[in-house]
Amino acid sequence: MEKEILEHGFSFNRRRFLSGMSLGLGSVALGSLLMPDLLKGGNREEEGLTPGIPHFAPKAKRVIYMFQNGAPSQQELFDYKPKLREMFGKEIPPSVRGMQRLTGMTANQASFPLVGSFVDFAQYGDSRAWVSNLMPYTAKIVNDLCFVKSMYTEAINHDPALTFLQTGSQQGNRPSMGSWLSYGLGNENKNLPNFTVLLSRGVGNGQGVYSKLWSNGFLDSVHQGVQFSKGEDPVLYLRDPDGMNRQDRRDMLDNLAQLNDLSYQEFGDPEIAAKIKQYEMAYRMQTAVPEVMDLSRESDDIVKLYGPECLVPGTYAANCLLARKLSENGVRFVQLYHQGWDQHGNLPFEITKQAMDVDQASAALVTDLKQRGLLDETLVIWGGEFGRTSYTQGKLAADNYGRDHHPRCFTIWMAGGGIKPGMVYGETDELGYNIIKDPVHVHDFQATILHQLGLDHEKLVFRHLGRRYRLTDVSGKVIKDIIS
Amino acid sequence: MHSKFRTFAGQLLIAANIFILFLLFFENKLVIPAWLQTIGRMHPLILHFPIVILLLAMLLEYFSFRPEYAKNQFYRNFLHNLLLAGSLLAAVTVIMGLFLSREEGYEGEILNYHKWTGAGIFFFASFIYFIRSSTWYKAPVAKAGSLLTVAALVVTGHYGAALTHGMNFIWEPIEARKEAASIAPEQAVVFTHVVQPILEQKCTSCHNADKMKGQLSLTDAQSLLKGGKSGKVLVPGNPEISLLLERIHMPTEEKKHMPPSGKPQLTPQETAILHLWIKDQAKFDKKLASYPSGDSLQILAAAYLKPASRETEFDFPSADEAEITALNSDYRTIVPLAKNSPALAVNIYNRATYTSKQLNELDGIRKQVIALNLNKMPVNDADLEIIGKFENLQKLNLNFTEISAGGLKALTGLKNLSSLAISGTKIKYSELSALLPAFKNLKSVSVWNTPLSEPEIVQLQKANGSMAIIGGFKDDGKNMLRLNPPQMKNSSPVFAGTMALQLKHPINGVEIRYTMDGSEPDSVKSPLANDKLLLAKSENIKAKAFKNGWYGSETVQFEVYKCSFQPDSVHLLAPLNRVHQATGAKTFFDQKLGVIGANNPAWANNWAGVKDNDMVLVSEFKKPALISSVGIHYMIEEDTGIFPPEIVEVWGGKDAESMKLLSKFKTEMPAKGDKPSLKTMEGKFKPQTVSCLKIVAKPLNKIPEWHKSKGNKALLLVDEMFLN
Repeated sequence: MEKEILEHGFSFNRRRFLSGMSLGLGSVALGSLLMPDLLKGGNREEEGLTPGIPHFAPKAKRVIYMFQNGAPSQQELFDYKPKLREMFGKEIPPSVRGMQRLTGMTANQASFPLVGSFVDFAQYGDSRAWVSNLMPYTAKIVNDLCFVKSMYTEAINHDPALTFLQTGSQQGNRPSMGSWLSYGLGNENKNLPNFTVLLSRGVGNGQGVYSKLWSNGFLDSVHQGVQFSKGEDPVLYLRDPDGMNRQDRRDMLDNLAQLNDLSYQEFGDPEIAAKIKQYEMAYRMQTAVPEVMDLSRESDDIVKLYGPECLVPGTYAANCLLARKLSENGVRFVQLYHQGWDQHGNLPFEITKQAMDVDQASAALVTDLKQRGLLDETLVIWGGEFGRTSYTQGKLAADNYGRDHHPRCFTIWMAGGGIKPGMVYGETDELGYNIIKDPVHVHDFQATILHQLGLDHEKLVFRHLGRRYRLTDVSGKVIKDIIS
Repeated sequence: MHSKFRTFAGQLLIAANIFILFLLFFENKLVIPAWLQTIGRMHPLILHFPIVILLLAMLLEYFSFRPEYAKNQFYRNFLHNLLLAGSLLAAVTVIMGLFLSREEGYEGEILNYHKWTGAGIFFFASFIYFIRSSTWYKAPVAKAGSLLTVAALVVTGHYGAALTHGMNFIWEPIEARKEAASIAPEQAVVFTHVVQPILEQKCTSCHNADKMKGQLSLTDAQSLLKGGKSGKVLVPGNPEISLLLERIHMPTEEKKHMPPSGKPQLTPQETAILHLWIKDQAKFDKKLASYPSGDSLQILAAAYLKPASRETEFDFPSADEAEITALNSDYRTIVPLAKNSPALAVNIYNRATYTSKQLNELDGIRKQVIALNLNKMPVNDADLEIIGKFENLQKLNLNFTEISAGGLKALTGLKNLSSLAISGTKIKYSELSALLPAFKNLKSVSVWNTPLSEPEIVQLQKANGSMAIIGGFKDDGKNMLRLNPPQMKNSSPVFAGTMALQLKHPINGVEIRYTMDGSEPDSVKSPLANDKLLLAKSENIKAKAFKNGWYGSETVQFEVYKCSFQPDSVHLLAPLNRVHQATGAKTFFDQKLGVIGANNPAWANNWAGVKDNDMVLVSEFKKPALISSVGIHYMIEEDTGIFPPEIVEVWGGKDAESMKLLSKFKTEMPAKGDKPSLKTMEGKFKPQTVSCLKIVAKPLNKIPEWHKSKGNKALLLVDEMFLN
């Protein structure tokens, strides 16, 4: 009897359980109505990102990154260290150098004598920022600039450091920052590539730049950086061949698009759709690019502002001017690379030349954006891939020395795009070797850039080979203190 | 209660349990539509029911095992139903609360406590409801359970009240706290309105009269001056030795660092304010207004008092997505400001295709457009009438458009317009100064490259203090810069007959003056370069660029080389270095010169080189040529062991078998420390008619004694030869 009662209890409970559960499941279904993204499965991590639309209201719409390739010496430009002059020729204290890994170029050096800047510094603007005499034009605009003196990176050689800054990883194959932004923000102007690259070279010791730095990695190839070169054809193969008129080109593209569309219908490969889009954009670029690249109608004021070299294609000044024109026309990311900052030796001579090449035009770009009311929506960045050592590389003479690679600290500046103007952030020790305040890792820097463009660096992700990728990899925090 | 109802309600309770568990689990993904928000907001209304009902139910439950009640059917039924009703109402309340908590402004520890205790009550009450009929459910369990529920109700209610009214709501009137609301900077007292709020935010949660950690309270002036266990915390006038700042400045890892790690830290601005306030004698009643403007403390304190600018929220509805898509075209992009934002930004490109229609078509989304970029479009005043209807427009770019002051009037009705760019337009000072005050919310106006002069811009700025009037760079003739040197635009510096020298400069209006006698070009006396200058022989041209308002350029040298004869075929009798192949035998007559410099390695720049054998080049002519000189162009870079040829021999004749030595010449050797350079050496001889010509250039066999590679063979690099 007891057994029967027990069994009765069980069956009753099961029935009640099931009916209760069905209601429960119903309630789950009801709840899921409130979670639009809950059951989207694989795309869940891309939640919050509709490619082409920022996550939140952006401060900046565009970026111009004046990359100083080769690593400019912060000790000669912005990070004023009088103590280094006092200690000229003295050995760097081991407590300062610590366990720092050195490059193969100085690791076997018998001694590491400190050397101060050969050039004098002065303070400028409301922030009383120190700027060396090598940068007189930059000195005039410090009220618009935010210096970050406490950047640091993980790589010690050019290629990995450069790749790290551009893609968030020291190895290649990841999308470049410009590609990520193109992916996250979409086009503002459909007649120009979203991400363009301009190269120039100074007289100083140069380091290579290569197209992997503006690669789209695993992102859709429409996000690849397009290099604009200095020759007659700024964008290679864009011009119609001789004898082909506009209408022929149009007809050809229409027919080609039909063919491509057929294979798209068959295979559904998104790269085919991308290809069709790129052909169309190239067609429109055929008129848009020559217009943007035409420097002949720039006013005398503009030439004086950027300096006379700005009309010589392929120079840094010309690239700065072009950067403004491209950005003004809605190009989201304009990446400049200026080679020649790798002063292992003969530093005083070479850096003087390098600084002369870039100073006026860099400052001019900021001023030019400002006078067009564009600086507040354009983030301008100036800096290299790492810093240089406070001790000399090679022979030390009163007027000649060199500096090796130094990842522990370097200085960059930013302007516009919602970054606090007239500010100095971070600090290095009095020998300019270690950061003592507010360190900014490369991923922090990248997170901050994305933040200014309305993108959450943790949400701007792309799924590839079974995992999610971000520009900031698995770290990085937005530097709130430099955001206005 | 009817048993069917009760069963149904019981099942509903199970469902509610699952539903709430589910919501709690996926809480982060909850997106609450507006209509549900209103339900969420009824949480404070409904919550009183479960509190009262559950309190009553628990009271009854506590006594439910007393014999007189245990046997009372009504008591038991009533209690069971009451508990069920209470639990269900708790479910409703919890669900509403969860909805409400997803709204902005609800976060932090208190919310968490409230949420989990609240949900806990619900789960616990349901639990009691389901188990109370079990055999093991006896008086002690019932009593403990009901007491626990009551305690939880009190705690949850307390946290809820704290959420709604603030932590100190109940005791506030007794404590008579000071008004900390926003205060006009003119009336602000630095201590009361700046220093004290900082301390209250970051310090007094542990250092107050109730909770005097380290026997220190920081709530008011007296206790601040009194200090704590470790002594006085501030020394007026001496921030360096004030314990308050010492603790703040300690490294965060340090145990004595304040606030303790994990607690909100002081910002650099706040630390600076404390520092400066103590430095200024830590005065408790000094007003902010009594500090001179520009004083550091004044600036920081004023910034602290300024209300944080909140991100603009828009109260207009979103536009129809299909309409936005339809309006997007190749030359007009319409993009949302951000995800879930109704605001739109519109950019219009391509001057050639612009018409007013492009603006007119935007009528359906005119409420949503907050930024409009018409840079360089042929926009006229009539177009501005259309733009005047974009009521929520904040940012307008009209740079280099064809607008006038008359048209701008149509924009004064745009109450939200904060940024206006009219650089490169024809607006005059008089017009703008009359117009600007009508723009009430304008924050910045760019007027670069307009007829406005520098003093006028200053004047305008003075008259419109609330806006930033952005001028820009205008060359006033005082910015003297050095011109860059002229460029030679000829495709090659090597020519056969005559060459029209093309000296050009990228800047308009530059004069190029030149000399060919080796003297420095003069800005007045030297001839002006023009396309008609014909050269008939190899020349060394010096040129300089001049323009008013600029310093003359540096002198630039162009060497042009005449090479009258092009051999019909060339071949080498001895090999070139493996790495210095250039284009083989063709290198020497390809009219391309090599480049020198650290960034231009010889192997990649048209340099043919030999080291271990002679350079022997044979040229053949189909038509016999009358030749009287042979020139050879080579590189010298003493430092890297690149030397001129030691000897050059020229052989010629009718064919390869019958060649005679026509000339043999030596070159000038560099001295130690000479800079790298490119040179030409020419051997002249009596004119000879030849069909076959052999040129033998021998590399330096022994590098001189002074050189680090003394005794070794030198490298010879040649890029071009000239036959005349």
